[in-house]
Amino acid sequence: MNLRKIAIVGSPNVGKSVMFNNLTGEYATVSNYPGTTVEVSRGKGKIGGETFEIIDTPGMYSFLPISEEEKVARSILLDENPCIILHVIDAKNLERMLPLTLQLLEAGLPLIAVLNIADEAKDLGMTIDTAKLEKELNIPAVATVSTTGEGLDVLRGKIEQYVKRFS
Amino acid sequence: MLRDFPRKIGYDDPLEIYLSRLESLLLSDYKISRRSVSLLLLQEDKDMLSAVKEKEGQRAGEILSIIQEARAHYSQPLTYIISLRRQREASRISNAVTSVKEGHRPSLRDYFSRILMDPLIGGPILLAVLYYGLYKFVGGFGAGVLVDFLENTVFDKYINPFMINAVNSAIHFKLLQDLLVGEYGIITLGFRYAVAIILPIVATFFFAFAIVEDTGYLPRLAMLIDQLFKKIGLSGRAVIPLVLGFGCSTMATMVTRTLPTKRERIIATLLLSLAIPCSAQMGVILALLGDSPAGVIVWLGVIIFVFLIVGFLAAKIMPGELPTFYMEIPPLRLPQLSNILRKTASRLKWYFLEVLPLFIMASVFIWLGQITGIFNAVVNILKYPVSWIGLPDKAAVSFLFGFFRRDYGAAGLYDLKREGLLSGNQLVVACVTITLFLPCIAQLLMNMKERGLRMGIAMSVFILFFSFGVGYLVNIGLTLINIHL
Repeated sequence: MNLRKIAIVGSPNVGKSVMFNNLTGEYATVSNYPGTTVEVSRGKGKIGGETFEIIDTPGMYSFLPISEEEKVARSILLDENPCIILHVIDAKNLERMLPLTLQLLEAGLPLIAVLNIADEAKDLGMTIDTAKLEKELNIPAVATVSTTGEGLDVLRGKIEQYVKRFS
Repeated sequence: MLRDFPRKIGYDDPLEIYLSRLESLLLSDYKISRRSVSLLLLQEDKDMLSAVKEKEGQRAGEILSIIQEARAHYSQPLTYIISLRRQREASRISNAVTSVKEGHRPSLRDYFSRILMDPLIGGPILLAVLYYGLYKFVGGFGAGVLVDFLENTVFDKYINPFMINAVNSAIHFKLLQDLLVGEYGIITLGFRYAVAIILPIVATFFFAFAIVEDTGYLPRLAMLIDQLFKKIGLSGRAVIPLVLGFGCSTMATMVTRTLPTKRERIIATLLLSLAIPCSAQMGVILALLGDSPAGVIVWLGVIIFVFLIVGFLAAKIMPGELPTFYMEIPPLRLPQLSNILRKTASRLKWYFLEVLPLFIMASVFIWLGQITGIFNAVVNILKYPVSWIGLPDKAAVSFLFGFFRRDYGAAGLYDLKREGLLSGNQLVVACVTITLFLPCIAQLLMNMKERGLRMGIAMSVFILFFSFGVGYLVNIGLTLINIHL
C-alpha cells in the first residue's frame, strides 16, 4: 500500500533534519534523487494512527530554483503529491523566510508553517503570535524547538487535523 | 482542490492583467495553481517553460508572446518586481505578528558570547580549552591511560604473543610470517597501530571536539582568531578553512575554494599543508609530549611561529587588498550528550573504516618494499636528514610512514618513544618536524588538484626542505642554549 506523504521544506540550517529525525524515529533511508547527485532522506512516521512517508527535502530558498538542490526540492513537491508540506522556518528570521511560504501558498500547496528555533527567538526578546500568523496566512502555524522536541506534539495534532479536513 | 483557490498576493495592475491572461491559456494540470505557473513563466523558469510548451500545444505561442510583452513593459527584470512585492507582503505579515521587547536585557548567553570573542578574555579561555580539552583529556587520558592499557596489557600480553604463536605454528613460510606478524606485520603493526594507538586517541579527540563544536564555540573562535590574523596582514576569511584543517587538512584544502582570491587560496593551502596538524596527528603528538609540558610549549611555540612567519611572508610576497570578514554567529548552546555521543561514534566509525585498510596496506607495501629492497633503500636515504636533526636512524621509518598518513608517522614515533629511544629534546624535534613535514598522500593529491600540478609539487618540495630545516634549527637551538627537555 502506498503511504501518504509529508514533505519537509525550508532553507538550509533551520533544523529540517532534526525535525525529520523527530518525526520518523529510526528507520530512514538516504538515496540520490533519480538523475541527480542530491541526497534525499525518507522515513516513516506515525501521526494520529496513520503512518506517513516523511521526506526531508534539500534546502530551498525560493520556489524559483537556482541550484540543483532547489530543483530537486521543487520536483518532490510537484511530482510526489505530498498531502502535507511542513515549511520549517527559522523563527528569528521570519521576515526573510516568509517569501517562500507565500510562494508555496500561491502555488496552492497544503502547507503548515513550523516556526522552529523558537527558543532562540525568545532569547532575543521576540514574541511571535502564531494565532495571528495563522489568520494572516490562513494555514496552521506552530512554534517548535526541534532540538528539544518542544511543540512537536502540537505539530502532530495540527497535522492530524489538517489531514482529516482535506481527506 | 486547494490549488484551485490559492492565496493571492496582489501584484500591480499590469502584472495582474498579464497573469490572468496567462492563466486563462493554461488548460493542463501542473499540480500547482495556474497562478503560480504563470508567475514562474514570467520569471523565465526553464522547467516550467518546457512543460508548458509540451502540454499546451498550439497555445504555447500565444503564451510566449504574452511573456515577451510583460517583460517589455517593465524596465526591471520581472523576478525583481515580483520578489519585491512578495517581500513587502512578507514584511507586513512579519511585523504584524512579531513583537520585540524594547530594551531587551542582554542575557547571560549574549554576555558570555561576547567574552569568548574578546581577545583579552577570549584568548586565555582558548588556552584553557586547549589545555583541559586537548592536553589533559586527549593527551593525558586518551593517549596516556587508554593507550597504555591497550598497548601494554591487551596487545603486548595477550593478542601479540597469541597471534605470533598461532601464525608461526600454522604457517611455515618465513615470508608470510613476516607479512602477518613480523616487525611491520599486518597484525603486529598495522592492526595494532590502528586499534591500540590511533583508536583511543582519536576517540577522545573526536569526543572533545564534538563538545566544542556543539556549544557553538568554533565560529566564535574564528572571529577571535580573525582579529589576530588581521594584525599580521592575513585575510580573515582564511580562518574558516584553517580552523577546519584541525579536523582534516585534506577536506579543508578543498574548502579553500570558498576564498575569493587566488592569492588567499595559495596562502591557505600552504599553511594547511605546513603548519596545521590534522586531528589524528595532533592527538598522537599530544600523546608523544603528554608527560612533558615544557615540550608541548616548545612544539606549540615553534609551530605558531612558523605559521605566523610563513603566513606573513607569503602575504608580503603576494600583496593584495584585505577583504573584510563577516560571519553569522549562531547562539551558544548547552551541548547535548546524546548528540555528542552520536557525532563521536559516527566520525569514529568513518575514520576507523578509512584508516584500518590503509594501515594494513602500508604493512603490505613495506613487506613488498622489504622483499625488493626498496624499503631499505628509501629508509637509508631518509636516514641522512633524520640524523642531521639529531634523531636516531630508526626514526627514518616513521617519516616514511608519515607520508602515507601523518598520524601513521606520528604513531611510529610513539612506538620509538615507548622503546625509550627518544630523549626529551629528540621528541620535540621529531614532533616539530613531522608536524611540518609533507602532508599525507591524500592531501598531496588534493593540493595538486586544487592548486595545479606545478604548484602542488613546488609546495611539497618547499615543505620537505623547510620541515627538516626547522627541525635542524630547533635541535641546534635547544642544544646551544643547553636545554634538556
